[in-house]
This record gives sequence, structure tokens and C-alpha cells, in this order.
Amino acid sequence: MSDANQLAVHGWKRSTAVALAVLGTGWAWAVWHAPLDSVQGVIQKVLYIHPPLAFAAYAGFIGTALGGALFLARGHERFDRFAAASAEVGVVFSTLMLLTGPIWAKGTWGKWWTWDPRLTVTLLLYLTYVAYLLLRGFTEGSERAARFAAVYGILGSALIPLNYYAIELFGSRALHPDNLQRGSLGEGMGLPFLLGVLATLAAFAFLLVRRFELGELRAVHAELRARAALQEEP
Amino acid sequence: MSAPALRATGLAKRFGPLAALAPLDLALALGETLAVLGPNGAGKSTLLRLLAGLARPTAGEIALGANAESRAQRRARVGLLAHATFLTAQLTARENLVFAARLYGVANPDARAADLIAAHELAPFAERRAGELSRGMAQRVAIARALVHEPSLLLLDEPFTGLDARAAERLAEQLAARRGSERACVLVTHELARAAQLATRALVLVRGRARSLDPAVLASEAALGAAYREAVAALEAAS
Amino acid sequence: MSAFWAVLWKDLAIEWRSRDRFAAMTVFALLVVLVLYFAAPPSLDAAQNAHVPGLLWVAYVFAGVLGMNRAFAAELENDALSALALAPADRGFLFLGKAAASFLILITVQALAAVFFALAFSLDLWPVAPQLAAVAALGALGISCAGTLLAAIAVRTRYREVMLPLLLLPLLVPVLLGAVRATTALLATGSLPWPAVQLLIVADAVYAIVSFLCFEYVLDE
Repeated sequence: MSDANQLAVHGWKRSTAVALAVLGTGWAWAVWHAPLDSVQGVIQKVLYIHPPLAFAAYAGFIGTALGGALFLARGHERFDRFAAASAEVGVVFSTLMLLTGPIWAKGTWGKWWTWDPRLTVTLLLYLTYVAYLLLRGFTEGSERAARFAAVYGILGSALIPLNYYAIELFGSRALHPDNLQRGSLGEGMGLPFLLGVLATLAAFAFLLVRRFELGELRAVHAELRARAALQEEP
Repeated sequence: MSAPALRATGLAKRFGPLAALAPLDLALALGETLAVLGPNGAGKSTLLRLLAGLARPTAGEIALGANAESRAQRRARVGLLAHATFLTAQLTARENLVFAARLYGVANPDARAADLIAAHELAPFAERRAGELSRGMAQRVAIARALVHEPSLLLLDEPFTGLDARAAERLAEQLAARRGSERACVLVTHELARAAQLATRALVLVRGRARSLDPAVLASEAALGAAYREAVAALEAAS
Repeated sequence: MSAFWAVLWKDLAIEWRSRDRFAAMTVFALLVVLVLYFAAPPSLDAAQNAHVPGLLWVAYVFAGVLGMNRAFAAELENDALSALALAPADRGFLFLGKAAASFLILITVQALAAVFFALAFSLDLWPVAPQLAAVAALGALGISCAGTLLAAIAVRTRYREVMLPLLLLPLLVPVLLGAVRATTALLATGSLPWPAVQLLIVADAVYAIVSFLCFEYVLDE
């Protein structure tokens, strides 16, 4: 590949990484300078990390379900690779979300864990993700694995809204602040929060694309290896 | 040649590194039997599964008869006989046939089952559970089951495997006898003698790639063997 | 449609001949009730017993999962699963047939388990029996629908008996929530709370519709 081509191919990655670094730095700066919450103290700043991670986790699951649905409808392997990439990246963000959640909970409510609606649903989401990845791993035959995973992803994602409905109705009283409303954030918190969301979603998208490319490269590699093995046969 | 009972165009199947089946064209008329030969892992079973409507092709189309149909509609006109018998072990042979008839929406399932039992001489063990039947008996029930809906395309995936000489001979006779103008057959087998005996056309598959053989070589097992080896060598060199 | 009745009849006929799935589920449910009785004994103070109806659902869910694990056991022999896949019928109806069979077996087990549960925990279930049966049936419907789809998947994976609970349990939470809430309110007040029943109906509908549509892809080779 010529230098010019290489630069074009890798150039976007470089510029994206730079953009993310700038975004991340700006966000960290904003968080550092954000007002300290009088009640919760420094722990409150997890607000700038945890909800954005949650958005990314949900984005991951939606990507998995969508990729799976498209795979079932059209049959292109690429959709399945996208679904797999989305699941893996999503589970990483889910893990981070579940790790930061209790930190915030301990700081604000005094308990490491509570069964309030959002936590519970996100825990279920996490378990569904893990089950999805296990299913992919344990099914014999890659096409069958892709199909089964797609079906499970669709069923799992149909349950996200259902779970919210269920747990809002019957879970223990909500401890999560309903912070999706504009203006519920205090003074000076809007900008870092917004930056946090943008930075996290951008990081998610970046990782998703890289992971997807990895999947594509693996497929090409596997094909080349298989061809080579054939040539060697007597 | 009469109108093709089966036409496949550009039929292909791949997932992952290599193609299980490279694009393949096929046309078969009623009354013809196509033998599909090839080493293990060549894609023969894949081809049958696609024809049977058990799997979705990555590319290409399959048509039975003149009209375009959905995969489910095609399944209504295809019968499959494989090494596994597809019988429910806890049901009797008769009940298995009735069940199959109902699955295929046959008009009078009990009557059809009775007809099949008579036609295939299954009466001695019709009331025994499928799980208790010997391999040969079970295979006979399986044949009847494959024909319960009077398919226009019969697919056979190594049906002689595990049969003793007598049972195998009986099956071969049945297949030869039923070769009327109402049905086309695709026979996957590694037994060249059977292929020469039963087939009117032949195809060799190696690593998903196909090559037709001149029907004339089906005259004798020896001729078929020679043509087969030559085709395999050529296909292996090409891939 | 004839395929639906054919599959339903076949599964029930097989079950009737050996009754092993039914027996295993019933014994298991009783054992779970026993374990729960010792693990979470009811207190003499009735106000402390709000959790007890939930225990009944523990038994129901575990017995249900055990039953669903066996749902495709007959299809494993002789590759009878391919026989289903070969059928020209809309595969959604094949799904319904199998789910209906599992449902009927499960509600029978639920009835027996409820009797034993009432004895063990000194509850008088008779006055609310019809409503309890309705809630139990709605729960069983959800377990059977999601369970049938996932069992068809799990049966072709490695570690199939472990795979099914792993896949199924996270998805059963809405059903569990609705069922426990409904049962608790029923035993406390004698009437069913509509929101809980509504949740059950909605959850069941989601499972049924998604599974009906997706079964097509699960039966492929």
C-alpha cells in the first residue's frame, strides 16, 4: 500500500483519536472546575461519568439487536460482525457503568447496591449481554451462532422497555434522580455533563468501529489461512 | 426433456472463511435421478440441505416447477431421506406416519398412513414404537415418511449407510421402481455401484465446487469410477 | 394450523406415555418448596410473611425451567428436530404447538405444587383458587413461550442444560415481578391488582409475538 493510501486509511483514525483526546481533556477540565455539590461532595462528580456510560451501554445493546435483526433479514455476515462488535464494546461500557454506579451509590445514598429501577434494569441488561456472549461462544457452527445470537438479542432488547415498565411499577422506590429533565442539573453542571455524554458516546463509537474492523480483518485472515491450507494439501 | 422439476441457479452457501458451496447451476427433470458424488466435507450435505429448504442460501435461487415459491412452499414438495430417520422414538411407526402426514397438511392423515403401511409392507411392525425398531425397519418407515406428502423431489443423503445387504438391496429396488415420471431424485452417496445402478445423471463436488459428468459413464461402475477420479483430481487442482 | 395440533398432540402423547417430564417437574417443585420452607420459614406473625407468595413463584420458575430443558429432548433422537424443520407449515405454528404442550404440563405441575405449598406454609388458598390459577397460568404462559424459543436454541449448544437457565432467567424478570406482585396482593386482599395482571399480559404478548416470529430462524440448520 502506498504511503498516501496508508495515510488516508489510517489518517481518519489518527484524527479521531486526536479529536477524542481533545474532547476528553476538555471534559476532564470541565469536571475539575465544576462546582462541588454541597451535600455529596466530590463523589457527586461521578455524575459526569456514570450516566454517560449508561447511555453507551444501551447504545451497545441497541446496536447488537439492530445488527442481529438486519442479519436475519438480509443474511450478510457483516451485520453479524457488527452485532458481535457492538455486544463486546457494550459489555465493556456496561461493566464500567456497574462499577461506577455503586461508587456513586455509596457516596450519595450510603449503600453499595440498591434495587431501584434503573440499577435493576441495567443489571438485567448486563446479564443479558453476558448470556448473549456466552451463547455466541458455546454454539457450534458460526452461522448458527450468528442466528441464535441475533434472535436472543432481539428478544433481549424487546425486554428493555418492558423491564423499565415493570420495575417502575413495582420496584422499590426510585432512588435515581430523574436527571433527564433539563434544569434538574444544578448550576454549572450542564456543560461537563454534556461533554461527558459526547465524549463517552464518541469513545463508544470509536471503539465500536475499531472492534468491527478487527472482526472484518479476522474474517479476511481466516479466509486467507484456509486458502493457504488448501494449497498445501497434497 | 420435460419441464425441469428442479432448477437451481447460482446456488451458493458460505459463512466465514470458505464457501461451503460455490455458485452452482442445476436442472433436473421429472424422472431423472442425479447422483452427487464427492469426498467428505465437499458440500454434498450442504447442497441437500439447501434443496430441502432447511437452510437459506447465501446466493442464488431454487425453483421447483414453474412458479416462484417461498422456502416453506418448496418444503411441501420435497422429501428428505437421510442417515437419521427423523422418527419420534416414543411414537409407533403408524403414529409417526400420521404425525408426518399432519405436519405436511395431508388431507386424510390416517388413511394416508394406512396406505403407506400397505405399500411399504410395514404392517408387521406398524404398531411398534420407532425406538424399538431395528435400523433396517426404521429406515423403511423413514422412506415411507419421506413420501407421505408425495413430493415431486426426493432427496437422499447417504441412505444406504448402516443398512445390511438385504435392506440396502430392498431400498435400491424401491428407488428404482419409483423412478416414474412423477418424481425427480437427488442421491448423495459415496457408493459408486449404487450411483451407477440408480442414477441417470451425475455430479461431482469437491470443496464446494461442482462438475457434471457425462451421463454415459453411468453405464458401469468402472466407467463411473474412472470419470469420478478424474473429476476429483481436476477440481482439487483448480481450487 | 394442522401442524399446530399435530405438534401439540405429539408432545402430549409422548408425555402421557412416560410422564417423566411431569414427574420430574412435580417432584422438583415439591423439593424446592421443602427447601424454601426450611430456608425461609414463615413467621408466626402474619405481618412478617409478605415474602411468602414470592416463594411459591421460586418453585414455579425452577420447575418451569426444568421442564423447558426437556422440551426438545424427544427431538434430539433421530434428528427429529430436522423433521420439524422440514415441515412446510409456518414455523410459528410449530412453536405454538410446543409452547402449548409445555404450558399444559406446567400448569398441572403448578396446581399440585400449590397444594403442597399451601400445606407447608399453612395458607388457605381455596377461596382465591380461581384467581390464583389465572395468575399461575399467565406466568406459565410467559415461561412456556420464552422457554420454548430458548430451549430450541439451547438444545444445539454445548452445555445445553446450563445454557437454558442462563438465557431464560434474565428475561423472565417482568413475568416474575408481575406474578409475585399479583399473588401477594391476592393473598393479602383477596382480589387481583389490575396493574400486575396487565404487566403479565403485556409481557406474555411480547414473548409470544417475538418467539413466534423468530422461531423461523431458530429451526434452520
